[in-house]
Parts: sequence; structure tokens; C-alpha cells
Amino acid sequence: MKKSLLFGMVLIICSGMLAACGGNGDSSGSSNEDAVELEMYSWRTEDRAAYEEIIAAFEEENPDIKIKFNPFDSTEYNTILTNALVSGTGPDIVQLRPYSGAQTIADNGYLVALDDIEGIENFDDSYLEAAQGSDGSTYGIPLSLNVGVIFYNQNIFEEYGLAVPETWEEFVSVSEELLANDIIPVAQGGRDAYLLSMLHGVIAPTAYGGNEFVDELTEGNTDLTDERMVASLDRMEEIAAFLPDDFVALDDNDAQALFYAEEAAMYINGDYRLETFENNIPDTPIGVIPGFKEEDGEEPLAMDWVDSSYGVVEGTEHEEEALKFMEFMASQEFGQTFSDSLNRVSAVDGVTATHEIVQQVTEASEANSTPYLMLVHYGEGSPTSKTIFEDGLQGMYLGEITKEDLLEQTQENAERAAEEGVEELEMIEEDE
Amino acid sequence: MAKNKRKNRYKKHLVHLFILPAALIYGVFQLYPLISAALNSFYSFNGFERVDFIGFQNFITLFTEKPYKDFFLNAFSHNWIYFFVTVITQLIISLILALIIHSKIKGKEFFKSMFFLPKLLSVIVIGFLFSLILNPTRGALNTLLEAIGLEAFTRPWLGDMSTALLSVIFVDSWASIGFSMLIFLAGLQAIDKEIFEAARIDGANSFTVLFKITLPMIGPALMIMTVLTFIGSFETFEYVFAMQGSSGGPYYSTDVLTTFFYRLAFGTVDGGQAIGLGSAVAVVLFIIIGMATSLILFVFKRKDFER
Repeated sequence: MKKSLLFGMVLIICSGMLAACGGNGDSSGSSNEDAVELEMYSWRTEDRAAYEEIIAAFEEENPDIKIKFNPFDSTEYNTILTNALVSGTGPDIVQLRPYSGAQTIADNGYLVALDDIEGIENFDDSYLEAAQGSDGSTYGIPLSLNVGVIFYNQNIFEEYGLAVPETWEEFVSVSEELLANDIIPVAQGGRDAYLLSMLHGVIAPTAYGGNEFVDELTEGNTDLTDERMVASLDRMEEIAAFLPDDFVALDDNDAQALFYAEEAAMYINGDYRLETFENNIPDTPIGVIPGFKEEDGEEPLAMDWVDSSYGVVEGTEHEEEALKFMEFMASQEFGQTFSDSLNRVSAVDGVTATHEIVQQVTEASEANSTPYLMLVHYGEGSPTSKTIFEDGLQGMYLGEITKEDLLEQTQENAERAAEEGVEELEMIEEDE
Repeated sequence: MAKNKRKNRYKKHLVHLFILPAALIYGVFQLYPLISAALNSFYSFNGFERVDFIGFQNFITLFTEKPYKDFFLNAFSHNWIYFFVTVITQLIISLILALIIHSKIKGKEFFKSMFFLPKLLSVIVIGFLFSLILNPTRGALNTLLEAIGLEAFTRPWLGDMSTALLSVIFVDSWASIGFSMLIFLAGLQAIDKEIFEAARIDGANSFTVLFKITLPMIGPALMIMTVLTFIGSFETFEYVFAMQGSSGGPYYSTDVLTTFFYRLAFGTVDGGQAIGLGSAVAVVLFIIIGMATSLILFVFKRKDFER
């Protein structure tokens, strides 16, 4: 009895040691002995294959650098990254959340400034803003651009002889026509509140007066309680009639299922859903409305934002090599491969997508675009003002809160967040 | 002789070494987080690290400033609802089930395992399954109601503010009912059969037996289950998180203290992390549970003395 127990324990200890050895073996098992290994954190677990392909192309050009792509679950990424940065045991290259996400990390001195990187001139200034610190320096190479769009099922539009709407008014009349034919105009869920922010981002810009209003907001000449913003929420109320019954109880999967089953004619989300549709309903012809035209406008107003960027961690032993990879990410070659393999809009200037719809979306955003208001300008605070806004939209649809109260609460939160932001910066400066 | 004694004493103390592994695990995974959360609640954060000691400022913010005080009160009230409803849907029903199974019915063992079965499933699995069942468009529950002519009762269970929290509590109770039933059953089986026989001979009816003998005799089980239900209701997180996400949607109608804590301490994908405030919520939660548990124990103990 005793002997078998002892034997069991020895076995457990040995297997533990073996596992530990195995772990070491993996990390040192590169073919090139002198190669520097860079660790790269990302939250795109689903894009692993594409990333590895891109990295292989880089490694071929730079045989003395190896890159270990290490993706984590998106919902846990922020915590993992924070812990890694604070404990200093972290990666060399990190994926950064756009706007306030990147800014907080940069302001705390965890990132290397990339202002002098070769190829940084390949980016539009507004894209670089997504990865800038409070000091105005750029700390990340923008990866891709997201455009909020209205997807539509071409079969349904053809069947009922509907023209693709270009303005909000046309959208309303098309939706009424669809309703009359027992088709749900727009498949949209509201259970994941962020989808309501997205919905607002896509349909509201022409209601609040586009970039003119956004500029007034950022310059401090008006705030969210402005009647133009209220008008945009009127539109949010109006669209409720065109969404599925009980849409606040539906999540994104439910909404997609309605769109797949051709029970609904349209679906609103970021252009990144294109890849999902190609995989799930490859035979359904999908079209895209990149935004509505303003009154007497010529081009539709496309709502876009930088999805993420990649930066180099301050204090890494291999800064030079990591910067080399940043230069690679800023190159047209990278932008092209990225766009082609993932059907996404590259942030690098002058990349022409192969996919027709990606091309259309890229052109639209280049011609006339407006930022994703809530994400770009209201991502600060704890909770973020964007969160207060989208949770409030749920409340608005459930009749719990008025439009005016919702906007007032979001504005209050934004003001508090701005104060906190100043305090945090002061703390950081004191620390230094 | 003396040497032998010393050796014996040495051996006696050696025993204490054996708690070391357990104590280590307890220290690292229980004590350390508890102490560090308590410390964090007294500090300000710059988004990453502890910066300044700010005394009770986080607590003051939590209780006096918008939107935190509203979130806190809203979540706190939901925890109380969770507790009172669970007492009915889980405790009382499981007690009735235990009484039925304890009486001489056929297939006792079968029912016992059937009621306990959900406890073996992972919370995430249960949450996911019930999200499907309660789905407004394709869910089994609404389909069933329609099929038997009860269309009037169909609703978006998890998307309606008046039913969302109750739905979550119901699912939690469904999964946990077997456990409390087993505790009650154990209490029932511990009662000496002769007491019942004596009562019968003295002419007590079933009602008198239940209220004068059975219930007082399983007092300890009742006490344990009330305390556990209270702690469970205030610590509840998994079912809300699995079915409604960390925002306790729709529009905070299922928000409880732990989801509120989670949002503050860990933020969302969009950010919004406030570790100091989050830790303050955790400390307040700890104090609430500690105080209420002592109170419940005190009430039950005093009853013991009266008897």
C-alpha cells in the first residue's frame, strides 16, 4: 500500500518535471541559434493563421528575427496586458486598443514613441490619432480601419424591386415596403449593448450634422445635450419599428441568424462581418451601404474608426528588432497581404483591396468619412461614457429613460472622466 | 525516558507540518487576494498601479457620487431580491421535496439523483442552455407556451426588465435545488424514528408532527441553508454573467454587486477600469456578508437557548 503510494508520487513528480522540460524545449527550439525572438501579444485568436503567414514573410526577409505570435481571448486581453506591463515580464510587441486604450498605456510610459519610424508617413493623421499619447507622439502603427455599414441581401432587394437606399428618407421608405411584405427590414440585436452604439454610429451622423457637429463637440462649443444629438436619438427611436420584435432580448448571433435565414433584409455592423458572411452564407449575394448621404451631399458619409494598432514596449531588450517589425507593418506590402488575407480595410495609404466590397468600403471612407463618435471621443472614464450611452439606449428602448436624461447622464460622465483624466496625468507626472 | 518523551513531543509537532500545503494554497489564493483587495481600496490608481494612499476616498465616492451610488443601490437591492426569491424557489421547495422523498415513496433514490443532477453541470453550460430555452424568437419555452395555447404568457424572458432577474434566479434555483434537498434529507434522516412513533401514539396529526417535531429537529440544517443561501445570493455572479453579461442587462435590471465589482475592477473591452473603486465594492460586499451571516447565526443560536 505504502509502496504504491510512493510510486504514485514519484510518477507525478517525474511527469511534472518532464512537462517543465518540454516547455523549455519548445521556446528554444528555433532553427536559427542566434535569432532574436520577439513575443507579440494580440487579441485576435481567430486570425492566427493569417498572422503566421504574414510573420513568415517578415522572417524570410529578416532571418535573424523570430516572432512568436501570442494571441489571448479578447475579453481578457486588457487584464493580461496590464499585468504583463506592470510586472515587466511582458512581450516586446503589443496590440493596442484604439484611442483612449492606447493613450492610457502610452501616458504611463510603457511604449516607445514611433514618430521617426520609416513608413509612418503612409498613414493618414486621423488614423495615427488612434495611437497617440497626451503628448501628441504616436505610439502605435494602425493596423486596420473599420467602417460601420449596412449589409443587405441582394436577393430580397431584387425580389421586391427595391432600390438601394442612399439617404435616411429612402431607407425609411424601403424599410416600410419590406415590413409590408412581412420581411424584417433590419436584423439587429440589442442585448449586447455595444451593438446599439454601433447602430447609432451608422445611422446617426447625417441626423446630427456630421463632422461639423463632431468638431463643435471636440472644440467644446457644444455638448451631448445639444438638440442635434437629441435628433439623432429620434432617429434611433424611429428605427425601432424596423428591427425584430423584442430586439433588446436578441444577441448578435440571433440577429445574424435572421439575416442568414433571409427573414431579414439588412444587418448593421462593422465591415469585419463580411468575413463571417463569406464563411457562413457564401452563396447569398451581399451588398453594402457604407452610410447615408447628407442633404445635397454627393458622397455617403461613412462612419469609420481605427480598429487597433501595434506598439513596442518600452524597455524591451530587443527594441531595434521590434522597431524593424513596426517598419514592416507600416509598409504597403504588409497592408496588402493583411487586407487580402483577412478581407479588411488596411490603414496603410494606397492599399487597394482585392475584394470588391472591401474596395467599395475603402473608397467610401476615403471619399467622405466621420469618426465613430462614441468610440473615438467618449471612450474615457470608468465606466466609459460610451458604456453609459449604450446601456442607456437599452433603457430608452425599454421605456426606462428619456432621450434627454440619457444624453445628460452621458455628458455628466464625460465631464467627470475628463477631470479624472487630468488628475491621472498629474499623478503620472508626479511619479516621474 | 526523557529522550523518548522529547521524541514524542517532536512527533506531535510534526503533525502541524502536514497542514502546510493546504495553508499555502489558502494563503496564496484566499488570504493574499483578500488583503490586497482591502489595501487596494485605500489607494488611487493611475490606470495601472497603486499611486497614493487616499484613505476612505474610494468608499466616499462609491456612496456619494453619481453614477456609482445609483449603481451600488440598484445592485444591492437586486441582491436582496435574489435572496428572498431564492428562499422561496430554492429553500422552501427543496424542503418540500426532501419531506416527500423522506416519506415512504417509491423510487426514492431515482428522484434523489434526478434532482441533484443539474448541480453536476457547469454553470456556463446551464447559462447557455437556458439562454437558448428563454430566447424570445426560437426558444423552447415560448414555443411550448404557444403550442399549448398560452401565447399571452410568451415574453422575452431575459430581455424584459420585469422578468430578467427572476429568470436568472429561477435557473440558479433549478440548478441548486438538489444540493439543499440533500442537506435537508440528511437532517431528516438523523431524527430518531421513535420520536415520530411516540408523537403518533400521543395522537399528534401530521401537521403537528411537521411543525412541532420535524422542523425544530432539522434546525441546524435550516440554519446552514439560510446562511449558505444568503452568502450565495450576495456572492452570486456566474449565472448573471453567463446569461446577461457583466453589464447585468437589460439596462442594469440584473446587475448585482459582483457584476458591478467586475465592471469596475476589470473594465470592459472598451476600458473603464477603476481598481480602487472595484476593490472598495469588494470590501463592502465582504462586510455585508460577514455581518449578515453573524446575525443569522446569532438568531438561530438564541432560538437554540430558548428551547
